Amino acid sequence: MMPVLVTKLLRDVRTGLILVCILLAAFQVLWARVTQRISGHILDSLQQLGGLSIEDIRTTVFQGPGQIIQAIMGGEGIRIDHAADMLSISYVHPLTIFILSTWAIGRASGAIAGEIDRGTMELLLAQPIRRSQVVLAHLLVDLWTIPVLCLSMWGGTFLGAYLVGFIGNPRATLAVNPWAFGPGLLNVFLLVFAVSGLTMWLSSAGRFRWRVLGLAVILGLLQFLVNLIGQLWDPAKPFRPFTVFYYYQPQPMMLETSWYQHGDVWLRLGVLAAVGTIGYGMALWTFCKRDLPAPL
Amino acid sequence: MLLRTEQLTKDYGTCRALDHLDLEIKPGEIFGLLGPNGSGKSTALRILLGFLRPTAGKAWIAGHDCWHNSLEARRQVGYLPGELRLYENMTGRQLVRFLGRLRQSTQTDAEIRLARAFDIDTSRPIAELSSGMKRKVALLQVLLPQTPLLILDEPTNTLDPTMRDELLGKLSAARQRGQAVLFSSHVLAEVEKVCDRVGILRKGRLVHMQNVAELREVKRVRARFAGTAAPQFPGIRAVTRHENDWSFEYAGPLPDLLGWLAGQAVQDLKIEPLGLAGIYQKYHGNGA
Repeated sequence: MMPVLVTKLLRDVRTGLILVCILLAAFQVLWARVTQRISGHILDSLQQLGGLSIEDIRTTVFQGPGQIIQAIMGGEGIRIDHAADMLSISYVHPLTIFILSTWAIGRASGAIAGEIDRGTMELLLAQPIRRSQVVLAHLLVDLWTIPVLCLSMWGGTFLGAYLVGFIGNPRATLAVNPWAFGPGLLNVFLLVFAVSGLTMWLSSAGRFRWRVLGLAVILGLLQFLVNLIGQLWDPAKPFRPFTVFYYYQPQPMMLETSWYQHGDVWLRLGVLAAVGTIGYGMALWTFCKRDLPAPL
Repeated sequence: MLLRTEQLTKDYGTCRALDHLDLEIKPGEIFGLLGPNGSGKSTALRILLGFLRPTAGKAWIAGHDCWHNSLEARRQVGYLPGELRLYENMTGRQLVRFLGRLRQSTQTDAEIRLARAFDIDTSRPIAELSSGMKRKVALLQVLLPQTPLLILDEPTNTLDPTMRDELLGKLSAARQRGQAVLFSSHVLAEVEKVCDRVGILRKGRLVHMQNVAELREVKRVRARFAGTAAPQFPGIRAVTRHENDWSFEYAGPLPDLLGWLAGQAVQDLKIEPLGLAGIYQKYHGNGA
């Protein structure tokens, strides 16, 4: 019974999934080209023209008014003359986070509230199928689709790095090993899972898809802004851990070979996994207890 | 009993949608639930399907509690919703087979036969079908699994007269096979035509239960007598008068009544089955 439902749900999302995968991969390819321009050409030109060191450029560009760019780039540890570091920025770029969050929120808000809104939940639950099976089927769809999204990002990075000549580049700063980006995908996966789990909880209690969608977008945006402001303004810093985006820091996993030895990395992964699991757990509990309203 | 409810009650906040409903339906019986919008028909059906949790009371289908053991209860039920919404991105065939697989039953031959009887092209996307055709597709998925109980919420809505007759025929055939049918409707004629028993709901309460076979025995007589004396004969009841025009109900052998009328000075006469309309009007007419 579950495979029948999961197959149907996958069939429903396949077009959207393909489009989002193409979008994510295309952005990675584009970002590789941007990286090539910055790390390969612009920095060299600046150094030749003004006799500036990389450190000077970092200090001039990214301190003070440029802090927001640094926050978006993923912190102070990023070396802009290193292609791998620059490529890793695409994984924390607001556009990537926007696409991933849109996917998670859009799909999860439609999963239960959307079906109730459309009136098809009644048709589904008139069959001998448990409500818990509906939620679990959506969990399985997440466990299948999110890795596909992650792989499409990684595929984009691989393709982009290959096209601009980073793979096997003789210059050490421009040489990129695409396999090193693999561990960071675990963080990507868990971020999407956490956002999806939280939205699923809202969806399980909702009746109208657009209302759930609106609420989830507001919550997501609020968390994103709190996390961003916390990076720029010290008094807001203590609030960052209350957002899921604080726990999304895939760059150390991509750029440090011994990332798995750092406890804080595992803590961040654990928090995101817990948020997603709790979200799904609450969705299960809420949906199994609630009344199913008649479609309007 | 295939279906049983005991003091079934549902409140929405301070509003009582269903008020202590006691109902029993046995296999091979067609039961009609009548009442205007908001009388509690759909609420009752939705509780039986486990969509709503009763505020008080209980309901069982084939001995399975409709809330606590909803899965087993629904295994016994084929359901047609009143507000029909289907997966618009599927074809009729895909929908029927998808829902069939959820029931772990695939009956390709029966599906083809029934689709032909209903004159549906199941290869067309549901989004392209008219509301009547969509209802036919939904009926297909309800009738195919031959579940012990069919729950149909206003099933003839949007159906053309031919299809309506076809459906009522299918329900009679289902009864012959031992399936029970619980359906709600606003169309008294079709309820009277096919149902064995009828329950009338008013503001969530079951106010009248009627055996339709008994109903068919009762006649409404309208007669104009030359005299002014009230008609008196065994079996006559609910007598009303407007000048010389008398109206009354008669339950008894028709030849006896006709024999008695032959001896009266009758100037005009009309005899018809009492029908559900008369009873329904009593509870939901203007003066109710």
